[in-house]
Parts: sequence; structure tokens; C-alpha cells
Amino acid sequence: MTVAPATGAEAVAVRASAPPPPPIVLDRVSRWYGNVVAVNDITFEIGAGITGLLGPNGAGKSTLLHLLAGLLRPSSGSVLIEGRPAWHDPSIYRSIGLVPEREAVHAFLTGRQFVELAARLQGLPDPRAAAARALEIVDMTGPADRAVGGYSKGMRQRTKIAAALVHEPPILLLDEPFNGMDPRQRLHMMDLLRSMASAGRTILFSSHILEEVERLADGILVIHAGRLAASGDYREIRRLMTDRPHTFRVRSSDDRRLASAFMAEPAVFGAELRDDRLMVRVSEFSGFTRAVARVARDAGVRLHEVAPTDDSLESVFEYLVSRR
Amino acid sequence: MSQLNAMSAIGSVTARALLGRRRTLLMLLVAGAPVLLGLLVRLGSGGARPRSLEPTLEGLLVTTVMPLVALVFGTAALGSELDDGTAIHILTKPIPRWAIVIPKLIVAGALTAALLVASTLLCGLFLGGTGSREIGITLAFAIAVLIGSFVYVAIFLALSAATSRGLIIGLGYSLLWEGLLAGALPGTQLLSVREYVRGIVSSLAPSGTLNSVVGSQGFIAAAVALVAITAIATWRLALHEVRSAE
Repeated sequence: MTVAPATGAEAVAVRASAPPPPPIVLDRVSRWYGNVVAVNDITFEIGAGITGLLGPNGAGKSTLLHLLAGLLRPSSGSVLIEGRPAWHDPSIYRSIGLVPEREAVHAFLTGRQFVELAARLQGLPDPRAAAARALEIVDMTGPADRAVGGYSKGMRQRTKIAAALVHEPPILLLDEPFNGMDPRQRLHMMDLLRSMASAGRTILFSSHILEEVERLADGILVIHAGRLAASGDYREIRRLMTDRPHTFRVRSSDDRRLASAFMAEPAVFGAELRDDRLMVRVSEFSGFTRAVARVARDAGVRLHEVAPTDDSLESVFEYLVSRR
Repeated sequence: MSQLNAMSAIGSVTARALLGRRRTLLMLLVAGAPVLLGLLVRLGSGGARPRSLEPTLEGLLVTTVMPLVALVFGTAALGSELDDGTAIHILTKPIPRWAIVIPKLIVAGALTAALLVASTLLCGLFLGGTGSREIGITLAFAIAVLIGSFVYVAIFLALSAATSRGLIIGLGYSLLWEGLLAGALPGTQLLSVREYVRGIVSSLAPSGTLNSVVGSQGFIAAAVALVAITAIATWRLALHEVRSAE
């Protein structure tokens, strides 16, 4: 099928009515360091709202955020911020606020001077007022006139967030933003990010803690060993994480009889006695946990212990990657 | 206007970073060494004018102290921030890279020049006294050192934008390229700041003070080098990639 080229007037009309490009687009992006691949063929789009970038330490989260922030050149593929390539274009920083994971801040500056510096470099008309506003948002007005070098980790983190927010960017990239914050500050920051997202901003934050992402994010990107392991709604990913094959270690009053009883269950596809322990391989976590007590009761066996053996986040990520 | 505002903000932070550390004290000591030496020689000669004015100013200030002070300030102005991660707060702002490089060059160059010009003038005064020829030589060296400081700082700033080993490579440039190679292969002197400085001295000072392969073109050579190296530093900074945490 061919499409007739639009006339000039039609083209202008089409352009005028075309929806704006998604704030963040990655298309088949890879990043290599010599022979080591840090980000491997990742494609996704992110729109307004909060997206959590979840993965264990070393998964490639920071590399991905640095690619998005134009601080790394993709080895292949393209990274677009509001339709423009992120690499080699400082003008994208009018649209982006970045909170890096590294704590490094000019220690001799006060918090206020640090945020004012960000406002001046953004070319804001009234840097002082903008800095005061941003500091108030992150609840750092009180200690703002103390040197950053004397701040706690959480205070530094909030000051960096104020500096990233000072020009009210439509896109906010945060690398492990809750590191060092106490629970009250964490809740405050979560509320702040939610209110910014509800105002139409695009927020992407990385974390290696599932609960953090679950509490805050509308959507999740799961990254493991540089690959996108899963993406989408967090409830769906949570289900995938839960309903994957598991191995349970079971101790009971009669392991042999219980193994036979388990084999009749649809969620169980293997059972073996190993070192006086019953190891049960199941295809569905929730199905097995619902059935285990009933099966034991029906078989007349007393349960002493039921424990999953491979519930580390690492094994969850490995499973998600393997199923793609 | 907003570009000027950004440049002044970057210059101010750079100045505070360079001045607020122990390195400034160390550099004061380094730049003060020729002054102390000049004073000792003056006192030792009983007030008579020693014959060591030109060799001392060239050997001590131009050859040793100037590259050393410029190396420390030049690499610290940008390289330290890139290494410790503080530069990310400047790099992620909508400002062209030349607007980052130029204020850093001005601040680091001015600090280097301030120390070295003061050191040159005092050392020259102690060693040479107040005779008109000696004053002429001292002023020629002071002007040459002023210009040379900025060229050296530009080189070391460009090196630190290009590599995390800017300090080592800068030291290699000063010791090997300008020190050893320039003696063995005269062609390499065309790319030597030391030669430009000698050329400026030779064109300003009373005749016969110094010889240089660039001769009276020292000013032009230094200006061309300064512009070219600043452009290279800007280009390298635009291609700078952060070292990932992962």
C-alpha cells in the first residue's frame, strides 16, 4: 500500500494536530564498555506519571539513566527526549531534572547557594526566589544556609532534588532517590513525586527495592544484567514475579506420604527427598501456598516447615529475563 | 546575558573550589621559592647585582614553577570535578560547553598568572635590582609568564577534559616533551609553551636576553595555541561521558 504525499498545507495541518512525541523514547539502545555490555538492546517509551526502574545493583540502571540524561552516548540505538536525541544536546536540560546517585556536591556551598547555582545555570529570571521555592518543596529551608559538606546523606539527597526541580522540568530522572532518607523524609518525597506526577510530569526513578517501586510507581521497568526483563503495570509484574516456578523446602511428620499427596496437585510438577528434606517444585507460587495446608491435612501429615528456597530478588530477575 | 550569568556563576564556583583547598597554600609555597632564592642570593651577594637574573628567571620560573603551578590549577579546575562527580551538576544544564570551559580557563589562568607574575617581579627585583636593563628583563619575563600561564592552563584543562589521567600526561608534556624532546628534536619546540614564553621575552627584553625558535612570533604563537587549545577543550568536554556507577 502506498500513501500519497501530503501537500504543503496538509502537511502543516497534520503537523499542527500531531500529538507531541512521548517524553522519553528508547529504541534498541545498547551501551558497551569495551567487551562488557552494560545495557543490551533496550526499547521502551515512557509517558507522564511515575515509572520505577527496578533492578539489582549492577543491573545497568545508572547507565540507563545516564543515557537518558545525555551523559553517555549509546553504542547503538537512539535515546529521544521529547523527540530530540539526548546525546550531545545541552538544550535538553531545560526539560530534564537529574538527581544522580553519586553524592558529590561542592561541599563548600551552602544548600541555598547550590540550588541557586542550578537556577542561575538554568537561566531563570529570579534564581533566588526559584531556589527558595525548591528548597521549601523538599523541606530544606531550615538548614539551607549551612554548608552542604556538613549535611547528612538524606539532606544532601533532598538538596540535590531541589536543584533538579528548580526549573520545574517536565521530566525528572532520579537515581536511587530514597537512599539515605529516613522513613518520614521518604514518605514526604513519595508524596511530592506523586503530586508532581499528577501535575503531568514524567518521572523515572531507579531502585533496587521492590517495595519502594511498588508503593510509588504506576509502571515498572525491570532491568537485569543490562536487559529489560519486564515492563508494564506493577500489578502484572508482581504477578509474574510471584507466579513463577518455585522450589519449596518442606519438613513434615511424614515427608514420603506428603510427597505422594503433592504430586496429585496441578500446581506441583516435582517432588524429591533430599538430605531428609522434601523439595517440592511448583509451577505457581500462589496456587501451591493455598493448597499446601489442605493437602497435608487430607494426607494426615503434620507440617513443620514450608519455605521457598529461591526467593531472592536476583533469582526473580533471572526468571523474568529467561522468560522473554 | 544569561550566558554571561552562567559563566560568572561557574567562574565563582571554580574560584572557590581552587582557593578553598590546601593546594593553594602549596602553590603559594612553590611560587614563593624563587622569591626566597632571590632574596637569599641578594643577601649573600652583599647588595651587589648578581649575574644570575636571566638564567634564574628562565630556569626556575619559566621551566619549573610555571608548568607546575599551571598543571595543578589547570587540572583541578575541571579534571577534579569530572573525577569526583561534582561536574555533573554543571554539565546537566542548558549551557554550551564553551561557556563552561572559558570561565574555568580564566579563573585557573588568572590564579596561576597572579602567583607567577608576583613571583617573577619579586625574584627579578631581588636578583636584578632596579637598573633599567634589569627592570626591563624582569618586566619582559613577567608579561611572558602572564601569557604562558594561560596557555599552559588551557593545555592542562583540555587534557583533563579528554582523559582522567590529565595530571600524569600534563606532567609528561612538561618534563618529556618540553624538557627532553625539545633539546633532542628542535622541531618539537614549535609545540612548546616554554618556547613561546622565551619568544615573548626575547621580543620584549633588551637584546640578547634569550633565543627562541619562534623568535618574535612568540605572541602570535601563544595566541594561536590558546585559541586552538580552548577549542579542543570545548570539543572534548562536549564529548565527555560520565563514568557509570555500575
